[in-house]
Amino acid sequence: MEFTVELLVANRYGALNRITSIYARRGYNIDELEAVVADKTNSDIYRITVRSKGDEYAKIQVMRQLEKLYDVKEVKLT
Amino acid sequence: MQTINGAQMIIEGLVRHGATTVFGYPGGAVLPIYDALYQNSDRIDHIITAHEQGAAHAADGYARVTGKTGVVIATSGPGATNLVTGIANAYLDSVPLLAITGNAPVPLLGKDAFQEVDIVGITQPIVKHNFVVRDVTELESTIAEAFIIANTGRKGPVLIDVPKNVQESEVELKGITATKPEVVPISVLSEIVQALKSAKRPFIYAGGGVVASDAGEELRELSEKLSAPVGFSLMGMTALSTDNPLALGMCGMHGKYAATVAKSECDVLLALGVRFSDRATGNISVYEKDKTIIHVDIDVSEHGKNVKPNISVKGDIKAVLAKLLPQLSDIKPSNSDWLARVDELKLGNARQEGDFTPQIAIETVGEFMADDTVIATDVGQHQMWTMQYYPFKMSRTFLTSGGLGTMGYGMGAAIGGCVANQKKRTVLFTGDGSFGMNLNELATAVSQNLPLVIVILNNGVLGMVRQWQKRFYGERFSQTTLGRKTDFVKLAEAFGANGFRVTNVDELKSVLAKLPKSPVVIDCRIDMDEEVLPMIPPGKAVDDMIITKFNASAGGDS
Repeated sequence: MEFTVELLVANRYGALNRITSIYARRGYNIDELEAVVADKTNSDIYRITVRSKGDEYAKIQVMRQLEKLYDVKEVKLT
Repeated sequence: MQTINGAQMIIEGLVRHGATTVFGYPGGAVLPIYDALYQNSDRIDHIITAHEQGAAHAADGYARVTGKTGVVIATSGPGATNLVTGIANAYLDSVPLLAITGNAPVPLLGKDAFQEVDIVGITQPIVKHNFVVRDVTELESTIAEAFIIANTGRKGPVLIDVPKNVQESEVELKGITATKPEVVPISVLSEIVQALKSAKRPFIYAGGGVVASDAGEELRELSEKLSAPVGFSLMGMTALSTDNPLALGMCGMHGKYAATVAKSECDVLLALGVRFSDRATGNISVYEKDKTIIHVDIDVSEHGKNVKPNISVKGDIKAVLAKLLPQLSDIKPSNSDWLARVDELKLGNARQEGDFTPQIAIETVGEFMADDTVIATDVGQHQMWTMQYYPFKMSRTFLTSGGLGTMGYGMGAAIGGCVANQKKRTVLFTGDGSFGMNLNELATAVSQNLPLVIVILNNGVLGMVRQWQKRFYGERFSQTTLGRKTDFVKLAEAFGANGFRVTNVDELKSVLAKLPKSPVVIDCRIDMDEEVLPMIPPGKAVDDMIITKFNASAGGDS
């Protein structure tokens, strides 16, 4: 099952690395990833969209682990 | 406003957040911090260990005893990488720890400068969060934030990497403090109340979350109100005194027979601050069968991670129990059959026979210690025997490496625990294998003149691995028979400590009866064939428990 997570992330060193390692450690491949400035007038926050595959368990685990990251301000499934 | 340098800012931050003792090891990239420590020695103590790993474990032990955030400082490169095991250990056991590392100056970062490593990258999967402070104006707020992150919610380690030129840069001290995150209101308690009221065979499974939130008293009240037996995870062991009749001991792979079996037979399992590790559950589908599982934990990602609960609640255990207890005021437990069954199960706790078994040695040491004596262990058979047989009385008196299973944890942890407990007598139970990994810290115990009692349960083998080789690998004892000739008595003397060798209970007692107020090593000679029992083979269930007889058909895979 495919699932896409949309994140609002503080623009800090290594933030993307922290996010991708949540997927890597649990063995979920990232099929597509996009990172853009969330608001053109403010480069402090990025919107990162990650598309991956996994069952319901994988989806919930990834979401909850992402929510624990301090650079991640918001996590939602799209 | 006062202008100070970054290194002094670090000291100001540590002092403001309550750090009175820190552990560490100086080096090139932290010279400014050590200079600031020198100038502030009246405000903050620093204990130098023999190795940075020992310092990290000492800060961990200090944190487990006090509940405060333990602090460790190390230089860049090898100093920082030597912390890694200690940080991972704190992460797996949810211990609040702040690691401060130096690094090459900012202009040299990324250029493979002398003693430069990407310690933030290296530790990223084993910290709650970490920071590189490239701009000295961010240092004060970063330290404040780090303390909050380490010691709120599910606790854990935080690392701050401070390049040397940032430590030397001037900055204004503003008195910044960070605000604690908002506590989410606790919900769905009514479902729990209902489940507990209709329970015929309730069982409470208490973990590190109970100890971390200092909820032992609430747990005692709850267990009495429900007439529910209580079993523990390794991290939860000291939540109740071992002489409480409802406290059955640890559940799981090497748990007490009564605790593990009663947990499997219960109809309502109230799990408080546990993460259902594979060592605790064994086969998950058998584990979950025929019971209502209530999981209370502050970390939502634990709900349903390993075990699927029927009811899950997010919250600090102390706060949840404070809300739950009044709602149970009218409960009248009618489970005398269940308590009779639990009493019957306790008869199954029988231990191995022998004159001077490790179990007897541990109990004997217990007879000579105070209720508040801090007990540390390393990892292996001696650790499980300590968990099974030491008479723990008070919360936060057991320092042991649960999740990571770090051989070499013990000496550092005992030093940190001893300092945290006003330098009162502290015991380390270790094995000859584990002690070999950290005995350099005997130098620290001597230089600090700490009253450590280091009990080496010496069987000349790597006992736990050997036990698995005996059970699951056809007695092919690959690399576990050490054949060393280390004389631990002379070794202790060489370090400036006292050493004794004991081969029976009377000899042990006579050493314990006249312990000096300085480090002592007691080399206890035990039988290499002594096993940790009971044992549930990995991936198996309670019915596969090995009690005393050899069971060759029970195999394992991890």
